[in-house]
Parts: sequence; structure tokens; C-alpha cells
Amino acid sequence: MFKNVLSRLVTETVRSRRYVPNGPVIQRLIPASGPVRTFTDRKGEAQPQFDASLLDVLVCPLSKKPLRYDAETNELINEELGIAYPILDGIPNMIPQEARLIQKDSAETPTH
Amino acid sequence: MAASMRLLVRRAIRLSHKNITLTAAGAAARSDCCRGPLVCRCFSDEAEDRSTHFGFETVPETEKAKRVYKVFENVAQKYDIMNDAMSLGIHRMWKDTLLHVMHPQPGAQLLDMAGGTGDISFRFLDYIRSQEERQKRRVARSSQTPSWRDISNNYSTQDEPRESRAVVCDINKEMLKVGKQKADSLGVSAGLSWVVGDAEELPFDDDQFDIYTIAFGIRNVTHIDQALQEALRVLKPGGRFMCLEFSKVNNPILSRIYDAYSFQMIPVIGEVIAGDWKSYQYLVESIRKFPNQEEFKGMIEDAGFYCVKYYNLTGGVVALHSGFKL
Repeated sequence: MFKNVLSRLVTETVRSRRYVPNGPVIQRLIPASGPVRTFTDRKGEAQPQFDASLLDVLVCPLSKKPLRYDAETNELINEELGIAYPILDGIPNMIPQEARLIQKDSAETPTH
Repeated sequence: MAASMRLLVRRAIRLSHKNITLTAAGAAARSDCCRGPLVCRCFSDEAEDRSTHFGFETVPETEKAKRVYKVFENVAQKYDIMNDAMSLGIHRMWKDTLLHVMHPQPGAQLLDMAGGTGDISFRFLDYIRSQEERQKRRVARSSQTPSWRDISNNYSTQDEPRESRAVVCDINKEMLKVGKQKADSLGVSAGLSWVVGDAEELPFDDDQFDIYTIAFGIRNVTHIDQALQEALRVLKPGGRFMCLEFSKVNNPILSRIYDAYSFQMIPVIGEVIAGDWKSYQYLVESIRKFPNQEEFKGMIEDAGFYCVKYYNLTGGVVALHSGFKL
């Protein structure tokens, strides 16, 4: 039984490790092996933590709709328009030109 | 007839502006020519590129934001030192005056636009803290002989008064980084948040803030009227708009001394301390291009603010404009 659990754990981590390089090309500073680390390591790496109380006031500058915080990719996501605003050093970047388009296939980032 | 059609089209485009795809917006911002979906502003210009001033130069509008960004990116590290050197420390007095006129009460929500290194927000939080201490002392003194009402209030479960909060917003990441480092070294973190955002397109919902300040930032904005409209939008009804900005000196003697100092001393100081002549040349030129006190007051009133007044500081070198959203 434990072997099953172990094997599933291994395949999941391998799968997520394989997922990240296929993900969109990035301007982000987070290294690709981020999601594979343990929870505590991930917190230590984005050391300045994003302040969740900001979510009360922050909205998407384009549509003025509330955003969803995605802890894994460290972004604020607007589902409706399909864009993600990056967070660097705990400071969210709400400039529309620097947001990333979330597309089903591998996405192109609109750099400026 | 053509003009009114153009107006209607422009309005329709502005309404659908929000739904325009990002790639198009990104492409238009990247190219120097603003013939793209962002064309709602160009339509009024009869197929000519809109141009604006960058200091004494004339540049296309899309250029200005980029160049201003570069200026502040270069000066971010030495920004505070340069402020002290250029204004001989007087800028501290200006900012303190802003806080005194603002007179914020505990529970106030501040949006510090173009807050950069966070000077206004730090002062805001200090002011609120000293206000709270003063209130506590007053309560302690008066509760020496409590009335029946006071005693019953003490028994009732008190709601936590709204915590005051300062959000520092700036278009430039470098300035915010410097500000955040300053906050960390001062140990200030409660009630302070940092956001990268554009003054012309604020990432905040309507009716959020009690006070909106923009200190020495509005002359760098490409479309000042849009920034003013956004300020009106995010303020609560009853909220206050406050703007510190360099302005026109009326006294002729002072004006001559000020001009000589600006154009001859400041870029030199900039070169010596920050190693950047051009950025400080831009600074003094942009001050001269900014509208004077009365004109700016008119712009604020046009945006929809009421009870707009201005206070001249240091003989008009700096003007503090204030308006209310009613």
C-alpha cells in the first residue's frame, strides 16, 4: 500500500517538474523548479510574502473586477479576461502591458 | 456632422476599450505610432501622432511614459539623498505640511499615488499613531470619573475600529523596491502595502479610499486629466484629493534666484551625487512645463472635485492643491 502512495508521489512530482518548462515563457524571477519544492521552501523563496489583505482593494485595472491570488505561480488572475498579473518581491505589478495572457496552449507573453 | 460622428465613435471605443485584447494593447504601446486599438485618443487628432512635452522636448505621447520610467529607474537608489541635497531639506517641511493639512484620523485609508519611496505613507502612519496615542490619553483622563454611559459602553463588546491603511502605488518598480527596503529597515509594515500601478488606470475599485495623495508625481503623468478622473473614481464620497507639486513663483526676485538655482545648480548636483545630469535636467524642465496654480486648480475642478483650494509653500515654489469628492 505504501509503495502505491510513494509511486504516486513520485509520478506527481515528475509530472509537475515536466509541466513547468512547457509553461509560458516568462519574465518571472521564480526558478522553474519552484513548485516541486516543499511548502516551507516555497515560502522562503518568495521571501517577501504577498499581503493577502491587498486583495480587498485590488481589482483588475482593465475590467475593475476582483482578482484571484494563485499561490503556486504567485500571480493575480483575472479569469474573465484570462490574464495574470505577476508578483515580484511581494509587490503586485498591475500594469496591463506586463500581464500574462493565460491561454490553453503555450502562451506568448506580451512584453513591452 | 463628421465631428459628432467622430465623438460617438470615440465614446463607443472608450466603452469597449476595456475589452480590447492585451496583445493589441501591448503592440500599440510598443510601437511609436499610436495607430492601433488604443486609437480612441488618436481619433480626435485627425490621423496625426499626439505629442506632448518631455521637459522642453516634444515627444510622442507613447514615448513620454517610457522616458519618465527610465528617468526614475536611474535615480531610484539616490532619490532620497538627492531630494535632501536639491531642496536643502525643505522637502521634508513640504511633506509635513501636507500631513498637517490632511489631518488624518485613525481608520483613514490612504492611497499614496506616485508614492515611490514612501515618504508620505510613513508620515501618514506616524501621524495616525500619534493621534491614536493622544486619543488614548484623552480617554484615560476622562475615564477617571466615568459616567453611567461610559461604564455601560465598557461592558459592551466593542467593534475593532477600522485599521488605517496606506497603499503606496507607483508605476516604477525600482522606486517601490527602494521604498520597501526603507520600510523594512525602519520596521514599519503594519498597514502599509505596495502596488505597481498606472495613475491613469488604477487597479482599485470605486469608492475605496478616504484620501488620495500624489506628491511631486503628477507632472510626470502623460494624461493628467485621466489621472484626476481615476482619483475621483477611487475616492469615497467625502474623500479628499491632495496634490503637492512644483508650481509658479510669482515674486520676480525669488523667481530669478529660483531659475538660476534650478538650471545651474540642480543638474550639477545631480551629476555629482547621482551621476545623472539628464534626469535632473528633465526634472527642472518638467517643472516649468507644468501648469500654474490657477490652471491646475481649474483642471481639478473640471475633473469633478469641489471646494478646490491651493496653498503656496515657500513663496510658490511648491503648491498644495486640495479638492473633495462630494
